[in-house]
Amino acid sequence: MRIFALALLCALTITPAAAKDTGLIFVSNEKTNNIIVIDPNSYKVVNDIKVGRRPRDMHFNADHTKLYVACGDDDVIAILDVATLKVTGKLKTGPSPEAFAMDEAQRRIYVSQEESSSLAIIDMDRGGIVKEVPTGGEPEGVLASEDGKTIYVSSEAGDLVHEVDAASGAIKRDVVVGLRPRRFAATPDGKDLWVTSELSGAAYIVDRAKFVVTGNVPFLPPGMRKSDVTPVGIAMTKDGKTAYVALGHAAHVAVVDVAARKVLGYILVGKRAWGITLSRDEKTLYVANGLGDDVSIIDAASRKAKISIPVGRVPYGIAVDE
Amino acid sequence: MSSARVTSLLRLLRGRLGRSGARLALAIAALIALASVPPALAQTTPDKQPEQHVKIAFVSIDNDPRYEPLRAYERIVLKTREHPLTGAEVGIDEANALKRVLNADFTLDRIVAKSPADVAPAVLAALDAGTHFFLIDAPTEAYKPLAAAVHGRDALLFNVSEPDDSLRREVCAAEFVHVFPSRAQLMDGLVQYFISRKWRDLLILEGPQPADATMTGAFERSAQKFGARIVAHQHFKPGSDPREREANDPSLLSAVNRDFDAVFVADDTFDFARTVPYHLVRPRPVIGSIDLEPVAWHWTWERNGGPQVNSRFDRKSGGRRMEGPDWAAWMAVKMIVQSVMRTHSAEFAKQRAFILGDSDFDGAKGLAMSVRPWDHQLRQGILLAAPYEVVATAPIEGFFHRVNQLDTLGDDEPESKCHLNK
Repeated sequence: MRIFALALLCALTITPAAAKDTGLIFVSNEKTNNIIVIDPNSYKVVNDIKVGRRPRDMHFNADHTKLYVACGDDDVIAILDVATLKVTGKLKTGPSPEAFAMDEAQRRIYVSQEESSSLAIIDMDRGGIVKEVPTGGEPEGVLASEDGKTIYVSSEAGDLVHEVDAASGAIKRDVVVGLRPRRFAATPDGKDLWVTSELSGAAYIVDRAKFVVTGNVPFLPPGMRKSDVTPVGIAMTKDGKTAYVALGHAAHVAVVDVAARKVLGYILVGKRAWGITLSRDEKTLYVANGLGDDVSIIDAASRKAKISIPVGRVPYGIAVDE
Repeated sequence: MSSARVTSLLRLLRGRLGRSGARLALAIAALIALASVPPALAQTTPDKQPEQHVKIAFVSIDNDPRYEPLRAYERIVLKTREHPLTGAEVGIDEANALKRVLNADFTLDRIVAKSPADVAPAVLAALDAGTHFFLIDAPTEAYKPLAAAVHGRDALLFNVSEPDDSLRREVCAAEFVHVFPSRAQLMDGLVQYFISRKWRDLLILEGPQPADATMTGAFERSAQKFGARIVAHQHFKPGSDPREREANDPSLLSAVNRDFDAVFVADDTFDFARTVPYHLVRPRPVIGSIDLEPVAWHWTWERNGGPQVNSRFDRKSGGRRMEGPDWAAWMAVKMIVQSVMRTHSAEFAKQRAFILGDSDFDGAKGLAMSVRPWDHQLRQGILLAAPYEVVATAPIEGFFHRVNQLDTLGDDEPESKCHLNK
């Protein structure tokens, strides 16, 4: 009977029907220790999930049955069941996990741990640290290459991007970028890595083959000063033509022509715009305003904010179930 | 992987994780040592400059009165005060964690002079022995002879603990970099906040110490600069003599004709300042030496990577709370490290040019910092700290400057008495 139940459970988890495309918008809030769930049509808050202390970066698994959430003050990655909106498991990490990348094929999670200045490689099934890679101070952004063989991690205090061999956990190369590098986007052609530099007010572009900086795109919304501009979150369209960068203190999102490395325009959002996510159809942008305790929902075509929705305190990131 | 690399990694991890993490560190080091390491790892960065060794000296004096504990009675210590050596050590640990990238290693030597007059000869001896970077943790008196001694030499001396404005105005030496904020910067930050809240009427209570007069002078200049009104300026005399109650009772001292929004207390000994809150004739907040203090750093600072800096310091110091001078010592080391990293050079002249040039530095206080060319003061934000909260950071929103908002704090170029760039 037990074996049968287990088999049934396995059968259930692999059915594609599990992915429901609910369109629900999940917002992690660092200071209220919760995830606010917003209905995509009514823009009403429909759920408030106590997920753990200081939830930050979030990623869905491939079939969107689970949402993984780094809980910075619990030293775990919590696993949220998307159908029931309940926490069903926790993966132990080192101190203060912040951002992570998942490789479901290899069953690995790569997570930056800002208190221990390291990148931990976590076993997705059993939990626990398989390897720990010492990084420069205050690691933040984590990105896995398309083939899963290389992990990129930024060090905020070291002004570096590390290139890490995923299998051995060895740092292969380092590149010095601007001040306080935060988060990444990769161009779909596999050539370039964009990294936001919060205190340089720019995105730095790293050639992934040579691992050198080939340029940077400074941001300056009209009427602002360089010192007001503190870029953090970045999202890129799937065709690699457009990037959206949340400019923190400057309360704007920059729209960037990736090929030309030029800013096309700026969109007004809320206070300390940090996290940014693009909808699957790329028509909508979601921005977490870290010190405004709200999110801005933006129509990408008209470059206008449609609505702002109050969430928890210090929203970090946004994930959309679609 | 070489055993030296494993050892240094161990040391790094042990430092970061504390004693409890040592076993974990050992396990990780063993894992990394076991993992096959491609040869490319030994030499990672594409540039091939020779390894350089950067020496930094931390210079303090014996029995510096600025670090005497503040006491109520002999056995009641109100505040302990520590030399900021640990701040520098945290910076060195961070630098040595980046050894692979920097192709350089950093050492910190401590020099303890017997008196302020002995600082200059001690610095000269180390300079002759090949040290170019100095963190100076000495009182004001040490600076004038020091400036004369190092004049024109290949040295950069980072002031990490002395706010005295005269060092930036009259002493005005090209070899100094004032990482610690000037008193003018601190007081400007404090006054900006009160102006922004429209609490413009202020009462001054000034103590009898020379340091109290200096602090009050700076506060008055800031009040004038931003348009605050001093409704009365009282001189207090600590004690309990009833014949002098007009000068030692905060209630009577604050019984002035005009109302005020806050009381500024300048009390270097702190013993009087602590009796002021809740003893005024009116229910008003107290600022200056107590309750709301302008500082270079605070242990509750939550933004811009502050918690991480604080927790690294906490681990290194064994639980001490990081203060302004600790931050300045950490920051000075960070500036030196940046000069090595960004110039890709082992030449002191290039490193100095980087630090004194237009370079931006990340001091974990928000706005990017840089060295003012006219008086070599580091531009920086000022934290306005209550005991358990950073109430605000200056420059306060709304105070604008034609070039850099940070230059609304302290001596701006036109009014500076020091013109090192001319």
